[in-house]
Amino acid sequence: MTSPTPFAGTPTFRATTRDATLALARRDLLRFVRQPARLAGTLGQPLLFWLVLGAGLSPSFDAGTFAGGGMTYTEYFYPGMLAMMVLFASVFSTITLIEDRDQGFLQGVMAAPVSRLSIVMGKVLGGTMVAMIQASILLLAIPFMGFHIGPGSVVMIVVTLAVLSVACTGFGFLVAWSMESTAGFHGVMMLVMMPLWFLSSALFPLESAPAILKGVMYVNPFTWAMILLRAPFYGGPLECFADTRYLTALGITAGVVLLILWGGVRRVKRREKGLPLARG
Amino acid sequence: MIRIRGLSYVYALGRSREGRTALDGLDLDIAAGTMTILAGPNGSGKSTLFRLLSGLALPSRGSVEIGGFDLFAAPAQARALLGVVFQSPALDRHLSVEENLSLHGALFGLRGRVLRDRIRESLSWSGLTDRLPDRVGTLSGGLARQVELAKALMSAPSVLLLDEPTTGLDPAARRSFLEQLARLKREREMTILMTSHVFSEAENADRVAILSQGRLLAHDTPAALCGRLGRNVLVVNTPSEERARALLPSVAERLGHSCVLCGSEIRLELGRDEPPVPLIDAVLDSFRDEITGVAVREPTLDDVFVHLTGAGPGTSPFVPKPQMDLAS
Repeated sequence: MTSPTPFAGTPTFRATTRDATLALARRDLLRFVRQPARLAGTLGQPLLFWLVLGAGLSPSFDAGTFAGGGMTYTEYFYPGMLAMMVLFASVFSTITLIEDRDQGFLQGVMAAPVSRLSIVMGKVLGGTMVAMIQASILLLAIPFMGFHIGPGSVVMIVVTLAVLSVACTGFGFLVAWSMESTAGFHGVMMLVMMPLWFLSSALFPLESAPAILKGVMYVNPFTWAMILLRAPFYGGPLECFADTRYLTALGITAGVVLLILWGGVRRVKRREKGLPLARG
Repeated sequence: MIRIRGLSYVYALGRSREGRTALDGLDLDIAAGTMTILAGPNGSGKSTLFRLLSGLALPSRGSVEIGGFDLFAAPAQARALLGVVFQSPALDRHLSVEENLSLHGALFGLRGRVLRDRIRESLSWSGLTDRLPDRVGTLSGGLARQVELAKALMSAPSVLLLDEPTTGLDPAARRSFLEQLARLKREREMTILMTSHVFSEAENADRVAILSQGRLLAHDTPAALCGRLGRNVLVVNTPSEERARALLPSVAERLGHSCVLCGSEIRLELGRDEPPVPLIDAVLDSFRDEITGVAVREPTLDDVFVHLTGAGPGTSPFVPKPQMDLAS
């Protein structure tokens, strides 16, 4: 038996979770840059919603007591539109997982000596970066929307969008991992995402919703993410962190994000296993 | 280098508690620095074994050691020794050749200068060094396969696993790919385990392992396997597979031998010391106008495979009624 000496005795390497995560995320970013149609698609839909709904509903919109009232619907809907963009961009970035499995790329990654955590985190980080690039384009409109917010609030908005994107990408990952076709993934995600978004106070204030809807909205985690996202538009960091409702939303959102990521890692760690043999 | 003991895998069939056995207590040793071809008919367990060896699935029972590491107890250490070329492409068509290799290298912890050097080394045997910036989607099937192999080499593996890597390649690309494999084995003393349906690919292997119904039927050198059969083979050539299929029952009945369809050929094993001339005469008497030739030759690995598994590639043997044995 001879001892193998590949590449003149170079040692065998293994990637750290961080390196593997960054490598996989970078790939998603490269793919995104090379597919400009994706940018147009994910930016176009929320913008269209915002313009059409904003123009149509502004005359009849009454914010009630929300944020002191007296705002236009386009202003109210702006954070909701940001959330919608992040939701769609994040969730649909995970559709590549199904393509990767169909086209064989995923098995190459699964056979590499990388931790399963890095496979989840690579996809989540990649999807989040892609969503945040798109969100940044929409965030440039803040000064033109009549919002007068400081840098602290801008940072809070960006961080909240990133957290929201992590949750949405993680959720998309969980669903995509079990899906066999992109068409099925589209169907399931639209069925889940649209109600989540409609009933999240993105479209209308929680306070003015009928009692029965209000109950549903309170159990919708996206509602709490919207509270986190909307708050910095109307107050600085100090005011936000002094608000019990904001802190509650922060706790719930963090919990949901951790739960989703834990579910993703657990799902990926589960390997196909042969049935146990009968004894004897 | 690879030590497989009592490896079994049972697939679940729907919700039933019963399953289908794909591997049944397989024992196999692959020595370091050798090239082994794993052959077997469809459903013999080759793909299942490949999935287990590449760490994509866990067995029902049994163990696999790669370079001394237990693949199922210490998967990361064992997988770090492996380079894997899957049957289906595992490249990102949207990325360039360099980006694909770079990504794969990064998954093995390579970066900076080591990564750049490794990309160059991994492609040094191929003609692709000037195609690094090209997107994989623009490459031909043969070139994409070379990138697959280069990708597997990025980690400087001690063991190279290849699952029918020449599928879909034209004969020239196939020959070139196999030559590169032989060179890699020779120059880098790599241990290579490759599944294949094409027996001409096994002629230059050190060992051939034949699987059927999840069990190892034979594992030896190609010469020893052919020698083990020890009987010559009568081959009746026909113009097409359809014609061969139509003639198979008549030929078997006329010659009183069990015959096997292999493409446009009908083959039968001669008995030990059986003179072939009466059989050739019988074929020519009865089927002269329907065949393109008849010949006797020494057994090949293809014949060994047919003998051991009872089937040609994608076919079943045709066994005639015993009273028609003209050869006796």
